[in-house]
Order: sequence, then structure tokens, then C-alpha cells
Amino acid sequence: MAENTRIVKNATCTFCGCVCDDMELTVDLDKKVITKAKNACVLGRAWFAEHQIDDRPVAMIDGKEAPLEEAIEEAAQVLVNAKFPITYGLSDTTCEAQKQAVAISDIIRGTIDTTTSVCHGPSGLAFQDIGESTSTLGEVKNRADLVIYWGGNPAESHPRHFRYSVTPKGMFIPNGKKDRTVVMIDVRKTPSAPVADILIQVKPGKDFELLWALRALVKGRKVDPQIQVMTGVPLETMTDLVERMKNCRFGVLFFGMGLTMTRGRHFNSGALLALATDLNEFTHFVAKPVRGHGNVTGADNVVSWQTGYPFGVNFSRGFPRFNPGEFTTVDTLTRGDADAALIIASDPASNFPKAAIEHLKKIPVISLDTKETSTSKLSHVAFATSTYGINTAGTVYRMDDVPIPLRPAFESPYPGDEEILFAIKKRVHELILSKCGATGATGEARVASKLML
Amino acid sequence: MSLELSMHTRPQVPLEAELLGPDKTLGLDSKAVSGLQIQHGNEQVTVGDFFKVKGKGEGAIHLEGDLARVKLLGSGMTTGKLHIHGDVGEHLGVGMSGGEITVDGNAGDWVGPEMAGGRIVIKGNAKHLAGSAYRGSAAGMLGGEIFIHGHAKNEIGHGMRNGLIVIGGNAGDFTGVNMLAGTIVVLGEMGIRSGAGMKRGSIITMNPAEMLPTFSYDCIYHPVYLRLLFRALRTQGFNISDAKLTGKYQRWSGDSVELNKGEILVFTP
Ligand code: SF4
Repeated sequence: MAENTRIVKNATCTFCGCVCDDMELTVDLDKKVITKAKNACVLGRAWFAEHQIDDRPVAMIDGKEAPLEEAIEEAAQVLVNAKFPITYGLSDTTCEAQKQAVAISDIIRGTIDTTTSVCHGPSGLAFQDIGESTSTLGEVKNRADLVIYWGGNPAESHPRHFRYSVTPKGMFIPNGKKDRTVVMIDVRKTPSAPVADILIQVKPGKDFELLWALRALVKGRKVDPQIQVMTGVPLETMTDLVERMKNCRFGVLFFGMGLTMTRGRHFNSGALLALATDLNEFTHFVAKPVRGHGNVTGADNVVSWQTGYPFGVNFSRGFPRFNPGEFTTVDTLTRGDADAALIIASDPASNFPKAAIEHLKKIPVISLDTKETSTSKLSHVAFATSTYGINTAGTVYRMDDVPIPLRPAFESPYPGDEEILFAIKKRVHELILSKCGATGATGEARVASKLML
Repeated sequence: MSLELSMHTRPQVPLEAELLGPDKTLGLDSKAVSGLQIQHGNEQVTVGDFFKVKGKGEGAIHLEGDLARVKLLGSGMTTGKLHIHGDVGEHLGVGMSGGEITVDGNAGDWVGPEMAGGRIVIKGNAKHLAGSAYRGSAAGMLGGEIFIHGHAKNEIGHGMRNGLIVIGGNAGDFTGVNMLAGTIVVLGEMGIRSGAGMKRGSIITMNPAEMLPTFSYDCIYHPVYLRLLFRALRTQGFNISDAKLTGKYQRWSGDSVELNKGEILVFTP
């Protein structure tokens, strides 16, 4: 073992939405690397191991190294002069940084959107339409005797999710897995299938029809046996599942992007939430989305408690307006509406549709990222930041909306997202105030200044 | 003389022009209209910054130019005529209760959301959510007519409570989803999951459609009201053959997870 070693107990892994907070990290402080991550899954181990300090300038303007202050000034100028700026990303940073980003969008009267809009955004719409019957993962661990995964592959995407929902012994589940029935519903047999007691394979794109038929059965309506031709699932299997759902003590439906990102989107999530609502006439049933990025749940929470809406919020008129499809980033970029972008801890230039990326190339982009990405390469101003959870402290939300503190492993020479966003916010604010003064505008921004800083 | 506005500068970012309606410009001369405030992104500008204005507000407006980025035209309109010679952006005729809007080109998402009366005619195509409810509100269109001669996309008449929507071409998925009442006619093909969650109301289609498992087949018959409706639609320029006028229709009722008092009528040649 190296000389200068530190052990960090109860550290948090921020790689996926499980946000496991029982890590024990061994850190080589000389080399600034994590040599061992006890309790982490294979994804978590890779996340901790691959993290090292890159040799990258802290700030660049048009691809050339620039002093931090100059870059902050340039970023602020771009944002203040934009007429329809968008802020996007935020799922891989702390809640504290997310808060600064919302404040910036508010001050510059821009649009704020998070990666939720391309993963569980449809669920956000469904929550608004139907409502969410919810619980923490701790409750699932202690009470759930029927666990249904729909359109997800946790064994590969969230390897330690099962420690809440399948394997553990809980207060009312004394024998662990033996006391639980696990159902997997998916279009194919995934590597998660072996944990399932019941496996239901639905025809691709027919989740909504299956959910709708289940709802009808729960409500005691007749369903034509021809349903098997449509969905690939026999009526007897459905009836059996419905009986189990009605007769369990505590049921949970976990749903993934197999449901939210296929044809029907928010109606698929909505159908599942409505099914959970229907089942509450018989027993206790909850539905939870299985969230991907480390702090995407935090992004939803922070944007919600600051603006009233979870994503796709526009401030052009000085008050928040929510309209997915209009103010969500892919749509705004594809239509060519945005005239500047502030991108935080996300890489839309590598995963957005082509038309959206083409528009990103045309407008000034300001990016904050821990690594060099396609987005940072096309940015007008690019900041290099430290990694949350490894170098930066703060708060993240687990997928069940439980806030969890971070315990960083070692220091980074780079500033955190929050620090840079705070500096941009301060400067943007000064510029807006002087603009208001110059045009004799109302004291609105001044009032805002007291509230925000 | 009516009011004529032609766009001289193309907006770089969305322009929100809810004041441009025949009733809100009534009695205003061209100078006053030029001075009206509209929203360009996050700043307030005047109509004159983007449009050349001629004439006087006497209950009719003609708009010309590339208006694809102009939103909220004819919002809350109560009377008069608004004619758009070209394409138009989102939220056309939001919550209007009277008057008529005609678009010679295509329209963006949300045509006539939550409108209560009046008529909107789109000669080209429309996108998603025509005549629908806004996110978070329970009821969509409350009354009036939307005629789309081209195609439309998903969620037409989402949460519709009354009124008539006619699509000359094809419609996307979830036509009439969560519908409370009202009538939707699709003369082309309809996507999947039509009428999901509908309580009452009628969806009429001329082509075979896939039904949700919560819809049940009732009968085949000729509903008399269709003949009256189709005759009226012919006068609006929709092409409806005699066979369809006098033909038989399959009736499906649903959605059984809700009230089960809605119907989907499918033309059966
Ligand atoms: S399950 Fe997710 S949060 Fe937990 S260790 Fe694995 S990658 Fe990290």
C-alpha cells in the first residue's frame, strides 16, 4: 500500500441513480487516484477507478486557454446578450450547483431544462396528469412482497438496485427473497431475468396495450382473449398477475426507459401510474421510475422547488412557464430557436438528434464538464470542473427522492460547478443591473438581487 | 379597409404576439398597431420592429411573411377574421371564443388549445395537440371548430370537452385521448391508441383502425347524424364520397377503464 493513503468511509457513488452511500474508498493521495472501492458494483468500481486529474486548462475561449476571470466575464456577456438562452444538463452535478443554474436562467430570462427531458421527462408529465403513489427504497426493502420491474434491466444498469427490492431481509419480509415475488416485464429476456419468479415478455411497442388491459382487469372489466395476439401475453398470465397484484400486501412497480422512451411515452408512464392508483383500491401499491444519472432526481427536485415545474421551464416573460415540447432542449434546438446555450455536466453534442447538434454549432455554447467532450470541443467558452462525489462535496438525491450527502475522496485543482456557476451568476447579475439602470427599467432586477445573492 | 401586416424582418428567436388579433386591434390605425408591444425572446419589442403595417383595424387582419416563429396569434379572440398567408407557429388561437382564423400554409403544435368557440381553418398540415388541453389542465377544447385539411400528428383533441375537429389527411397516435365529449373526424388514416381514456364523445374514421383492448364492438349501422355532418363538411371543402355519406359504420364503445360511453365509428365499405 502506498505511503500517503486515506480511507474514506460511507462515501457515495454517483454513477447511477441508486447513489449507493456505503462505499469504502482507498485513496492514494500522492497519485490522486482511488485504488479500491469496497462495496461498489462493477459500474461503480469503473467510475471510481477511471477518475484521475486530467491535464486540461481550467478555462478555454474558442479552444484557446484563457484566465478563469476572463472566461467568466465572456460567459456572462454571452448570456446577458442572448434573447433566448437555454440551460441544459445538470443531472451529473450537485444540488447546490443546480440551484445556481436555475438562478442564472431566472436572471437572464432564459429556459432551463435538464436531461430528464430525454429520459424520464414523459414520467414527469404523467406525474402531473395522474399523480404519483410513492415510497422510499427503504420502505420497499422492509415491506414490499411483490416487486415488478417494467421496461428496465437493473442487473446491468443499476446493479445494486436489488439490495433494496429483491435480496434483503426487511422488517416485514423476514426471509428476504423467499418472501417476495419478483416479476420482470420486458420486450426481451435481459440479464436481469434470472432474479425473476415470473417473466412476462411483451411484444415491442405494446406496453401501453398490456397496461391498459391490466387496468381493465383490475377494474373487473372483460378483456377479449385476442389480447394475446396483440401483446404476446396470454390472458391467463394477465389474470394471474392481476390476482397477485390485488392480493399482495405492498406492491411496487419500478419502471425504466423501456417504457418512457418507446412509442406512447408519457402515456405509457401514465398508464402504469394509473394502474398503481387503481390498485390502491385493493392494497398498497407504489410506482417509482428507475432513474439513470447520479443526480437527475436532484435536478427534478431543485428545478421544481425553485420554479414549480421539474424541467422545460421558460422565464422569457419573467415568470416560469412549463411546456415540454416547446421549452425542452431537443425541440428548442431542432427548431433553431435558442441563441445561446449553457450546458452543465452533459454532452448533448454526442447524443442529440443531428438537427439539434447542427444548431448547437451555430450558437455560442458555454460548457462545464469534468472531461473533454464533443460539447466542450464545440464550446465558445469551456470550463473544466472537478467531479462531484469524488472531489466536490454537496448533496445528491437518490432515485426515491432521498437526499444524500457526498464525502469527497481527494482534492482537485479544478473548481466545482457550483463555484463557477456562482461566479457567472454574480457577474450576470451585475450586468443586468447596469443594463436596467441604463434603460431606466424598473427596480425588478434590484429586488431580485436581494432575493438571490 | 382591413389591417395588413407584412413581415419585414425575420425574428431570430420566437416572437409571441398575442395582441395580434382582429378584436384587440379594433379601431386602431396603422401607427397605433405598429406601436403595440410584443415579446421577442426575453425582450419587449413593437409590432413595427418586425411588420410593415397598413390600413386600419376594422375587424379583419391579413398577415404575410414567414410566420413559423410567431406564436400565440389570435389568442383569446372573440370576433373578427384573422387570415395568415403562409405558415404559422405554435399556440394559434389559444382559448379563442369567436371569430375565424384561416391559415393558408402549415401550423405548429397546439392549434386552438382550450378554445371555446369560433373556427380555425388550416389549409396545410398541423402538428401535435390541436384542440387539446394544456399540460396539467383537465379539459381541452370546449367548443368551436378546427378544420385541418392536411395531416395532423399526435394527441389531437386531448381532453376535448366539446366542439368539432376535422382532419382531412392522417392523424397520429392517441387521437381523442382522455376525451370528455365532442366529435373528431379523421378522413385519412388514424394512428394507434385512439380514444384511450375517453369518457364520452365520438371519433369517426374512414379507414380501418387498431382498437385498444378496452373497446368493445357493438354493431354495424348507419348513424343518421353523419349524413348531416358530412354534408356540412363538404361545403367546407372536404372531399367526402357518396359511399361514405350513405355507408355503414362499425360502432365500438369505450373506454371501459373509464365511463365506456365514448364511441369510435369506422367506415365499412
Ligand atoms: S449501483 Fe449505481 S450507485 Fe451503486 S455502486 Fe453501482 S453504479 Fe454506483
